[in-house]
Amino acid sequence: MLKRPLNFLSADKQSDALLPWVISVMLFLSALALSFALGVNRGLDSWSKGLTSTLTIQVVHSDTIERNRQAEATIKMVRATPGVTSANIMADQYVVSLLSPWLGNMPIGSGLPLPSLIDVTLDDSGDFNLDSLKSRLNVAAPDAALDDHQAWMRQILDLAGILEVLLIAIVVMITLCTITIVIFGCRAGLAAHQDTIEIMHLMGAEDTTIASAFDRRYLQHGLKGGAFGVCIASVVLYGVAYMAARMGQGLLNAALPDLNTVWWVLLLPILSGLLAMITARITIRRALTDMV
Amino acid sequence: MISFENVGMRYDMGGEILRDINFTLDRGSFHFLVGPSGAGKTSLLKLLYLAFRPSRGLVNYFGHDLSNIERSGLPRLRRRIGVVFQDFRLLEHLSAFDNVALPLRIQGAQKKQIAEHVEELLAWVGLQDRMHARPATLSGGEKQRVAIARAIINKPDLLVADEPTGNVDPDMAERLMHLFVELNKIGTTTVVATHDENLVKTVGAPILQLSKGELSHIKARPDKHTTPYGQKAPSYKRTKGEQS
Ligand SMILES: Nc1ncnc2c1ncn2[C@@H]1O[C@H](COP(=O)(O)OP(=O)(O)OP(=O)(O)O)[C@@H](O)[C@H]1O
Ligand SMILES: [Mg+2]
Repeated sequence: MLKRPLNFLSADKQSDALLPWVISVMLFLSALALSFALGVNRGLDSWSKGLTSTLTIQVVHSDTIERNRQAEATIKMVRATPGVTSANIMADQYVVSLLSPWLGNMPIGSGLPLPSLIDVTLDDSGDFNLDSLKSRLNVAAPDAALDDHQAWMRQILDLAGILEVLLIAIVVMITLCTITIVIFGCRAGLAAHQDTIEIMHLMGAEDTTIASAFDRRYLQHGLKGGAFGVCIASVVLYGVAYMAARMGQGLLNAALPDLNTVWWVLLLPILSGLLAMITARITIRRALTDMV
Repeated sequence: MISFENVGMRYDMGGEILRDINFTLDRGSFHFLVGPSGAGKTSLLKLLYLAFRPSRGLVNYFGHDLSNIERSGLPRLRRRIGVVFQDFRLLEHLSAFDNVALPLRIQGAQKKQIAEHVEELLAWVGLQDRMHARPATLSGGEKQRVAIARAIINKPDLLVADEPTGNVDPDMAERLMHLFVELNKIGTTTVVATHDENLVKTVGAPILQLSKGELSHIKARPDKHTTPYGQKAPSYKRTKGEQS
């Protein structure tokens, strides 16, 4: 019997009038948590690409000969290290051009000691071990310094990973909370409409007829609440994304919601509507079988 | 059509409200149920309209042993029963029209058919001008008439009425009783609980008397099923749609 549900519930005596508001708060929070989780995920991708591919080692020594010796030793050692694709010394010319912003243009061999910079490329195998290379370098070339902003980046990356898991956990918890609230709302609704339901039963209404009136009502609650919460969340997200776009490229920027990818939050009200409806359906049907 | 054999009933953990109830309602019969307040009239009617199951005894319902009927089978039976509750139990947020239409809607009747029948019946009980009023704005007697209209709108096989004339003046009481009698004539088995001696006398149907939970039978008077009033009840025909 697929028909328009028979609506016999009162609209004014709303025991569950607060439900759409609660759902909208929940949806607001989960839309934010979800989009930041996605942002962090995107950040993780772009950061870890930069992280794993290259590494710089510099050797600083006032004595050019000693410096070159240590640089040679470093290259030899690094090339023999697992996970390394190549290790090449940068030409002095290039080093000078890198330093020019600070020192101005100066001829090579001006007597000013230059550092040797060694450009190391890593493969994706993950075999590369920064700490072990560092300690071996200490012995072979005591004046070689590994530029370890990479290590710092790795910590950031770990942190971001934890943050992502945390955000997803928050979304899961909010979902469970919402389900619980809907269940309580349903019970309150059942209690408030107990008399009506009993009369419906006595007039020969099937449980499904009665339950579908509730289904429809909770679908509406979920859609309404969800739409409102997501509207507010969208405004916030677009605001943040707009500001992020104005800040330009940057480390932080990569982890912020992106204007092109937040459209999916618009699907959330449908999900919350279905969630509320299915929860109500199960709760109500169970309760109805205990009645007259 | 309906028979009770040694039926007992109790509410929750309390003592037996009804004891050793024996009676048979033949198809198309008309009975009054009388007895002092607290005797158990409403309780017996609750068994009849399937709001309760007896705590002991045998109940045969439209040819089925009630104890063999599962909960899922009850709606089908209940649709064949019309009930006028002692306290009306109208849905307060629905208009008189919608209250009366509810049994038809539950059965999935056509919109047009619903409108016709409901309007005709409400007019017949004198509520054509109060059709769209909510119960809260109706007088006690008006509510009672809405409740009666709701009970008989789908021409039930069994009509159970608990004090259906308690709140109306004698004229209206007779008019309503006449409606019951007309309905009974087209085959509705009817049980009316009442305190109203006059009513019992005018109809002259057999009487079930309850006192302190026990039932005794009083024979019908000779002038059974007389209809002393010239008015015609609504002329609808019995539709044997999904009845089995
Ligand atoms: N829901 C209930 N739970 C427990 N006891 C009840 C319940 N309803 C009625 N009773 C008790 O059952 C007995 C019979 O009540 P019932 O309502 O059947 O009487 P009645 O004959 O309809 O009375 P009245 O003429 O006043 O309507 C009373 O003693 C009453 O207190
Ligand atoms: Mg009573």
